[in-house]
Amino acid sequence: MIDAKFYTADGFTDTLPGICAFKKQTERKLEELFRLHGYSQIETPGIEYLDIYSRPGFVPEQNLYKMTDQKGRLLALRYDGTIPAVRYAAGIKDFDPASLPLRLCYIENMFRFADSGGGKQNEFTQAGVELMGADGADADAEVIALAIKSALSAGIKDLQISIGQVRLYDGIAKQVGLGDTDREVIRNAISSRDTVTIEKTSDQLGLDKNQKELLLMLPDAQGTYDIIDAFRAKVTEKEALDALDNLKDILDALDEQGFLKYVSVDSGLLGGSIDYYTGVIFKGYTYEVGFPIISGGRYDNTVAVFGRQMGCVGFSLSLTLTLTALLRQGVSMNETPCDVVIGFKNGFRGKAYEEAKKLRDEGLAVIIDTTGKSKDELNEYAGKQGIGRALYVEGE
Amino acid sequence: MLTIALSKGRLAEKAIVLLENAGYDCTAAKDESRKLILEDEKAGLRFIMAKPADVPTYVEYGAADIGFVGKDTLLEEGRDLYEVADLGFGKCRMCVAGPVDLKDGKLDLIPNKRIATKYPNITRAYFEGVKKESVEIIKLNGSIELAPLIGLADCIVDIVESGRTLKENGLDVIETVADISARVVVNRVSMKMKSSEIKPMIEKIKEQIALL
Repeated sequence: MIDAKFYTADGFTDTLPGICAFKKQTERKLEELFRLHGYSQIETPGIEYLDIYSRPGFVPEQNLYKMTDQKGRLLALRYDGTIPAVRYAAGIKDFDPASLPLRLCYIENMFRFADSGGGKQNEFTQAGVELMGADGADADAEVIALAIKSALSAGIKDLQISIGQVRLYDGIAKQVGLGDTDREVIRNAISSRDTVTIEKTSDQLGLDKNQKELLLMLPDAQGTYDIIDAFRAKVTEKEALDALDNLKDILDALDEQGFLKYVSVDSGLLGGSIDYYTGVIFKGYTYEVGFPIISGGRYDNTVAVFGRQMGCVGFSLSLTLTLTALLRQGVSMNETPCDVVIGFKNGFRGKAYEEAKKLRDEGLAVIIDTTGKSKDELNEYAGKQGIGRALYVEGE
Repeated sequence: MLTIALSKGRLAEKAIVLLENAGYDCTAAKDESRKLILEDEKAGLRFIMAKPADVPTYVEYGAADIGFVGKDTLLEEGRDLYEVADLGFGKCRMCVAGPVDLKDGKLDLIPNKRIATKYPNITRAYFEGVKKESVEIIKLNGSIELAPLIGLADCIVDIVESGRTLKENGLDVIETVADISARVVVNRVSMKMKSSEIKPMIEKIKEQIALL
C-alpha cells in the first residue's frame, strides 16, 4: 500500500494489550456491581440524530462529532450516556408509572472534541448509571454511593467526592436579590473560585456586608455538616434551605454506609451549563490526573424536554481517566503471558489438542505452537516469553 | 510536594518575592541556571519555568498544581481553572488601539474592519460578544503596532502599559477591552486532593497581596 498511515487520528489512541486486559476486567467488575444494585445495562446507538443533543443547555454543539446520513439528516456520534438514556426513557411506549424508577446503566465509548471527560482525548470510555423517575435524597445518595463503589472497585484508593447543590446558589441569589446578568456573572466567578470578581460585583451592586459574606462563602466553603450549619445560620430563602436539607439527608445516607470519609460538601460546585443540573451535583477526584474521574448530579428537567416529566439522577465514571490515574499511581498493567505453551511431535497434533482442552477447562490460558518447534526450542521459547510451563507432546 | 508553574521573566521574579514574603523557601527557584525544573524537596516545592502562554495548560492538565500568570493569557487560552487571587501587579489594559482619527466613535463606522492581534480569541470574544459585529482577525506574533501603520489592519488589539509605543507611532487607545493583572490559578483536582497544602498557601498569598 502506498502512503499507509501508521498513526491514529488526532485525539484517538489504541488501548494496548495489558492495559486493555485490565480495562476489560474492570468493565466486568462494574457491570457486576451495577447488576447487583438492580441496574439494567443498555446499549444505545453510536450515532444519534444531532437534534437529540443540540437542545439548549445540553451539549456545546462545537464539541459534537457531526455527520449526515444518506438523506442529508444531521447526525452526531455518541457524546454521553445520559442523553440517549433520556431519549429512551421518554419514548417508552407501554410506559407504566408504577414501574418507576428506571435503573439503567451503560459502559460505552464517548466521542467529543477536546473535552476534559477523557483528559482531552476525543474518544474515551465511560461507565455510568441513570436512576430515572426518582426524587429525593435517598435516590441522590444511592447514585453517589454507587459512584464511590465504582471507583473503589476499579482500584482507586485515594478518592475525594465533592458534593454541591445548585439550588443553594439559586436560593442565595434570590435572597441577595441578584438580577439575571449579575446572577450569571457571580455564578461563573463562584465556579472558577474567583473571589475578586465576587467582591467587585457585590460592591458595584451595593450589597451589604452580610450579603457579600454569604456570596463569598460559596466558593470557599468545604467540609461536611459544619458547612451546612454555617449556611443555615445565614440563609432565609426556602429554596436554599431545601437544598441544605437535601445535602444533609444525602450525607446521613452516605454515613450509614460508611462513605462519609470520601465525601465533602463543596458549595462552589455549580456545573457548567446554566439549567442542566437541578439539584445535587458531584465530582470525584483522585491523585495523578488533573481532571475529575467522576461526574454526576440531578437533572429533573431533561426528560421533560422530550415530553415526559421524570426526576432523574445519574453519574458517569471515566474509565479512561481512571486507568491513567492507576497507571501513574504505579498499578502494574503488564500483559500477562499465557500459562502453558504446547508443542507436539509430528503425528501427535490430536493429542496436543486434547491436552490443551483439558488445561483450558481448568481455566488456564494455553497456546499451541504452530511453528513446528522442537522440544528444546519450545522450552527456550517459553523461558523467553515468561510462559510458566512448556508441554511437548511426543507420545500417548 | 506542590508544583508551581511560573511565567518566565519579570512576573516570575515578582511571584518568587511574594512567595518568600509569605514564608515559602524559594531558593530553588532563584537558581540562575537554565534548568527548567527547580526542585526543593525540603520546602516541598517544585518550580517549573514555562512560556507564559503555556502556564494555563500545565495547570489545567494538573502537571502543575498552581500557576502564576497574566490575566491576558488566561482570557486568551480560556482554560478550565480555578482563578483564586488577583496579585495586583503586572497591571495593564487589553485595548483596541489605532490611528488617532479613529477615536470618538469613528472606529465603529468602519464596516468589517480588519484587526491585527496576538490575541485572536480575546479579539473575537470582544467584537462578536460585546460589540456584536463581524471582524476579520489577522494573527501576528509581535510588533502589532506595525499593522495599522503599514495598512495591514484598521486597528489592533493588544496589551497597553504606558501607551508610549503607541504614541511614538501615532496611535492611541480607542477602547479598553479588559483590565489585566497577574493572577494565581489552581488546578481543579489539586484544589481537592492537596487542599491541606494549597489552601494555606492561597491564604498567605492573599495576606501578602493585602500588604502590597
